[in-house]
Amino acid sequence: MGRNTIRIAPLLLAGVIALGLPLAVRSATYLHILVLLYLYAYLTTSWNLVGGFAGVLPLGHAAFVGIGAYTSTVLSLQYGISPWIGMIIGGILATIVGVIIGLPTFKMRGAYFALATIAFAEGIRVMVENIDNLGPFRLNGPRGLQIPPLKTGFLNFMFATKEPYYYIILFMLAGVLLLTYAISRSKLGHYLVAGGEEPEAAMALGVNVARAKLIAMAISSFLTAFAGTFWAQFTLFIHPKSVMSLDISFEIAFIALIGGRGSIAGPVLGALLLRPVSDLSRIYFGAKLPGLHLIIFGVVLILVMLYQPRGLQEPLTRAYRSITKKLFGHTEAA
Amino acid sequence: MMPVTGGLPTGVRQRPQLEGWMLFILEDTINGILMGSIYGLAALGLTVIFGVLKVINFAHGSLLMVGMYVAYWAVILTGLHPYLALVIVVPVMFLFGYFLQDIIIKPIFKAEKDVREPITVIIVTTGVWYILDNLSLLVFGPQYRNIQDNPLRGKMLEVVGMLLSVPKLWGFFAALLTAVAIYWFFQKTRTGRAIRATSLDREAASLQGINQYKVYNLAVGIGTAVAGIAGVSLVPFYNIFPSVGVLFDIKCFIIVVLGGLGSIGGALLGGMIIGVVESVGAQFMAATWTEAIVYGLFLVFLFLKPSGLFGVKYEW
Amino acid sequence: MRILELKGVNKSFGGLKAVENFSLGMEEGEILGLIGPNGAGKSTVFNCIAGVYPPTGGEIYFKGENITRQKPWDLCRKGLARTFQIVKPFSSRTVLYNVTVGAFATTDKRAEAERRALEVLRHLHIDDIKDVRAGNLTIAHRKRLEIARALATQPKLLLLDEVMAGLRPTEVDEMVKIIKELRENGATIFVIEHIMRAIMALSDRVAVLHFGVKIAEGTPKEVASDERVIKAYLGEEYGAA
Repeated sequence: MGRNTIRIAPLLLAGVIALGLPLAVRSATYLHILVLLYLYAYLTTSWNLVGGFAGVLPLGHAAFVGIGAYTSTVLSLQYGISPWIGMIIGGILATIVGVIIGLPTFKMRGAYFALATIAFAEGIRVMVENIDNLGPFRLNGPRGLQIPPLKTGFLNFMFATKEPYYYIILFMLAGVLLLTYAISRSKLGHYLVAGGEEPEAAMALGVNVARAKLIAMAISSFLTAFAGTFWAQFTLFIHPKSVMSLDISFEIAFIALIGGRGSIAGPVLGALLLRPVSDLSRIYFGAKLPGLHLIIFGVVLILVMLYQPRGLQEPLTRAYRSITKKLFGHTEAA
Repeated sequence: MMPVTGGLPTGVRQRPQLEGWMLFILEDTINGILMGSIYGLAALGLTVIFGVLKVINFAHGSLLMVGMYVAYWAVILTGLHPYLALVIVVPVMFLFGYFLQDIIIKPIFKAEKDVREPITVIIVTTGVWYILDNLSLLVFGPQYRNIQDNPLRGKMLEVVGMLLSVPKLWGFFAALLTAVAIYWFFQKTRTGRAIRATSLDREAASLQGINQYKVYNLAVGIGTAVAGIAGVSLVPFYNIFPSVGVLFDIKCFIIVVLGGLGSIGGALLGGMIIGVVESVGAQFMAATWTEAIVYGLFLVFLFLKPSGLFGVKYEW
Repeated sequence: MRILELKGVNKSFGGLKAVENFSLGMEEGEILGLIGPNGAGKSTVFNCIAGVYPPTGGEIYFKGENITRQKPWDLCRKGLARTFQIVKPFSSRTVLYNVTVGAFATTDKRAEAERRALEVLRHLHIDDIKDVRAGNLTIAHRKRLEIARALATQPKLLLLDEVMAGLRPTEVDEMVKIIKELRENGATIFVIEHIMRAIMALSDRVAVLHFGVKIAEGTPKEVASDERVIKAYLGEEYGAA
């Protein structure tokens, strides 16, 4: 069994299963959970471009989700522009904001950067919460914006059942994973890793570390905004707390960290492991023990950081490799 | 987590003969300085921890929240004057901080010994923040609490035609006394000097027989105890609820950046600046907009002068 | 035109004068050694040249161009590479990955970068460990990796900062051989070194730095018998006539 076969087989299997899942799962609730699962996997993978590969700790990514959600929603509600176009515009806006945030902050490392992202994200949220109108655009402050479920159809990004949403987010997730893979093998990917691990050495080797991080930030914020549009179209109601809160920023970061930032599989694995925890604890304990899942996240995060700082993907990948080795013997490639 | 817009009591006040907007502004400024000194007190704990461990403790706001709840329960259960509750709060908070460092953070230090700015510690303290905030939500419930009938609540002191908030005045003096005590401790006592030595050069200090991990435990214990004092100062007039720490956390970091990491005077001064901005700003715009201004100030300072007003430029 | 020219370079850190009025020239294809007691300011000179921080005064020219305030990554593209005294490998990645990062300095394509990286590894005789995680290497291999990475950027001028430190005598000799080979292949090399036998065997010329000031310059033999140099290293008592 060749080395590449061992690597690709599980992915193909997962892909086939994912494609066929809606046929097996008929319940709308479970489809909804799956959609959110993929959404978070998408969010954490996008986050990973900056938080994992660039080696910094952005804790304000929800701002980009919010920008995407509000841009496409306002444009479609007020001007009838298709949410797909709004998605792209939202992405561009988010990129601009991301670059503005990144320009001064990438020169600082560690804690200052994390703090700056929190300050930016909260600042933007506070502003959106307090203004009803931004020029000609109606933002509605804390009351939020509701999307009336009128005409369904692909162009309106509006569907009567959950299945189309499922496939769209699955497609987005696959896309972002492929992109991450391509970047990791590219010059940008190498430069990001180098700049993240040993910035001085990287600079001496021709790496403009700040610029590489900025590019990663631009891509990451662009993609994250897409998730905002998707969220808006999926839930049909957005308000600052629901799309821009610090809770979301932290959940994204925590999941990616627990799964293993800097790796491609890590964020997805993290989402696969933790989102069910979140959903289940909300379903079973929601009223009596609110916020239980966040406590669990926090505890798991600390444990993972203490014992497996590279994330859970490391022991899991190792286990997978040793299992396949036992089953199929040593592979031909080195 | 909800943003805190403050538990500031508003009410109809009698204004004596001395009128004029200048008096208003002065009154706001002074009340802002008083409130700001309490912010500074809260930030003092953070700056102590940072100065010694060279790590940013993201859970500081949550420690403050814990301090407020401890103070709250101490007063409710014993009927003590809030400031007498310090007798309970300070040791409890000290021990809490001590063991938090010892059990959770120390193992990470050991694993990342030479890393200058261990990101893992930031991540872990963020986890602690989350756990503490949600645990207190679970245990205490989301409702806002306050100690209605405590001797300080709502009291005002009239000075030259201005009304100054009495609980904040108490807080101001608490802040000054604590700052002086901390300064004296670190400069004059043997333990304090040992801590400073370790913060300057771990290895040299350990060669002198100073156990660096014990020093770290002590530093976090002290920082947390100071947060406890800040909690006591707030409890007479501020609302207490599980996510109260969040905004304080961010404010503390802003203050510490403004005033310079590791600087005692800087923490107090930075706090006062924030307090004045909030207090004066509240007259002209909604409280949440002042929040946005504080964030903006923070970002401006971060970009222009990361070493703050007094601090040493830390090589990031 | 000299490949490297330092004119009156000063560097102060706050009140401390690390390097004072340092002037030096390098011809293409030569190996120049920089020696001096610990703390003399040698790494500071390198850092100024390599753009880590700008000198407080004076100018630096590379291939005739004034590079005094330029950044390390731009300098690397122009053909100036350096290694670090305390090696900084990208520990979580393989040796090949490490060198590939350097190779990307002159190409955008991964295949080409990897190919060049392999070539460099072969040159330095460490291609057999190309898949080893850099963090698991011995110090000798790490030093070679450090050089390999810098080489992959195809430099005209290579600054080597104490690449022999921590090596055993046999490893030192190997390293000397490698560096000489590099020169034969067209590189100009500026070496900081502590290990006397290496510097003397390697360098065409040597400059001596003491408390930030150049106190001697010349062939290894000239410098070794220079009285000021002997005093600087061994103290006043040894300054015999």
